[in-house]
Amino acid sequence: MTEVATPVGGRAAIVGVGETRQGEHPGLTGDDLAVDAAKAALADAGIDKDEVDGLVTCLTLDGQGTDLAIGRLLGLNPAYSATLTYGTCNFSIHLAAMAIMSGMARTVLLTYGANQRTGRVDVTRGPARADFTEPHGLVHIAGPAALAFRRHQHLYGTTEEQLGSIAVAQRAFARMNPLAIFRGPLALEDYLAAPYLVAPLRRPDVTMISDGGVAIVMTAGDRAHDHPNAPARLLGMAQTASLRESQNPDNYLRPWLRPVADRVFAAAGVERVDVDVAFFQDPTSVWVLQMLEHYGFCGPGEAGPFVAEGRTGPGGQLPVNTNGGQLSESYMWGWLHVCEAVRQLRGDCGPRQVPGARVALHASTGAFFKGAATILGRDD
Amino acid sequence: MSGREALVLPLVDDPVTAPFWTGARERRVALQRCLRCAYVRWPPARVCPECLAEETRWETVQGRGTIWSFAVYVRALHPAFADDVPYTVAAVELDAGPLMIGRLDEAPSWEPAIGDRVEPAFEDVTPDVTLVRFRVIA
Repeated sequence: MTEVATPVGGRAAIVGVGETRQGEHPGLTGDDLAVDAAKAALADAGIDKDEVDGLVTCLTLDGQGTDLAIGRLLGLNPAYSATLTYGTCNFSIHLAAMAIMSGMARTVLLTYGANQRTGRVDVTRGPARADFTEPHGLVHIAGPAALAFRRHQHLYGTTEEQLGSIAVAQRAFARMNPLAIFRGPLALEDYLAAPYLVAPLRRPDVTMISDGGVAIVMTAGDRAHDHPNAPARLLGMAQTASLRESQNPDNYLRPWLRPVADRVFAAAGVERVDVDVAFFQDPTSVWVLQMLEHYGFCGPGEAGPFVAEGRTGPGGQLPVNTNGGQLSESYMWGWLHVCEAVRQLRGDCGPRQVPGARVALHASTGAFFKGAATILGRDD
Repeated sequence: MSGREALVLPLVDDPVTAPFWTGARERRVALQRCLRCAYVRWPPARVCPECLAEETRWETVQGRGTIWSFAVYVRALHPAFADDVPYTVAAVELDAGPLMIGRLDEAPSWEPAIGDRVEPAFEDVTPDVTLVRFRVIA
């Protein structure tokens, strides 16, 4: 088993979650939405903003969301603040946990807001110069994901029907989630009848672009019960960085995610069979396919049959993205996945509740260069 | 392709990468080999990501390779490529080492497949910019 020097071991916990309505917010900036979400999360945590001594924000694709801007709007002078440029929620949570464990802050507010839909933000091109990919037309995450899925098909015989099972399963959950943007029925026949976007991927395989805000309140483990709702403790966290990107062999398949899985389970002291509900950040369905294998819920190449058998859908052995994920709920860079994980552990998810959920896994990536995972658990 | 201002173009005058673009204009695939450790730096780099040496040599290679995977853009996801759809982008494992991205030339009665052998082709996009494409070896 992988050794982890000093695991977080419950010394930080999520005690508040909140979000805005998802979809379109004409007239509001991303910062406005981050602020509105922060108010909701503080209310959920049952605290006043004066109890916040840490702030972690997330830079949007168009440069909104700095801690300077959000802190000013919220009227905060925290002991610690920071902004992550790849703040797909796991990384933000880990930074907040490190601030708490180091003693630099006790109660950290994390917030993200984007008006990328009404602001017509160009999401097709990466933040860095990409002279050797984008001029050829390899734009938008759907392109690299299509490369990765076709390679998976070649190696393992995975079918488009199997891939479609992912979007179908997540839509079945989204239909039970009032927050979700896409709530219409999606059967496998509907999926297969949809035109290709970037073959072999279809529209339901790719996230929508949406406006919205999400926020989280984290605090030190010894204060986890000073709030109205049951805490979701951080049992383990782990990351990896594949910064050499395309220099790494088979980088589009992201084999470097496997060590993150080994480390996060070792840190949390739980086994894969202990996971009651899993969240995989999903700008495309291919990410779910890859991470089911890399996180060891099935063997290499087995994710296609695994999802086609309905194991990740409602009533399945491993419910995945019970909020509908980014494919159906909203494109919030994994932040809403964490809200859903916390609510599943609280037992607050109504018709889509996973009965008795005690342990949740949240796994995410920064495109083809970073991976992160958190295991959350309830106290009782 | 669409109007020039809409094109997504590489910077061809960056001194680190310019020899590649010069080579492409001259119908050559030029790759940068580290003089200390022989690693092929792709994308080109001032310092070798393998051994951190600076010394380097540009070599013209045949540019042949094998299709690792490919994606067919049925919809234009960026307006610069609106006139190009449908188009195919391939990831090609060059015999010289690196994985290179490039358009796959259409060929009559030929469906591309992973594992197909390809050779470079060249497309002058502007007077300064030539992109390396790939076509199947008959």
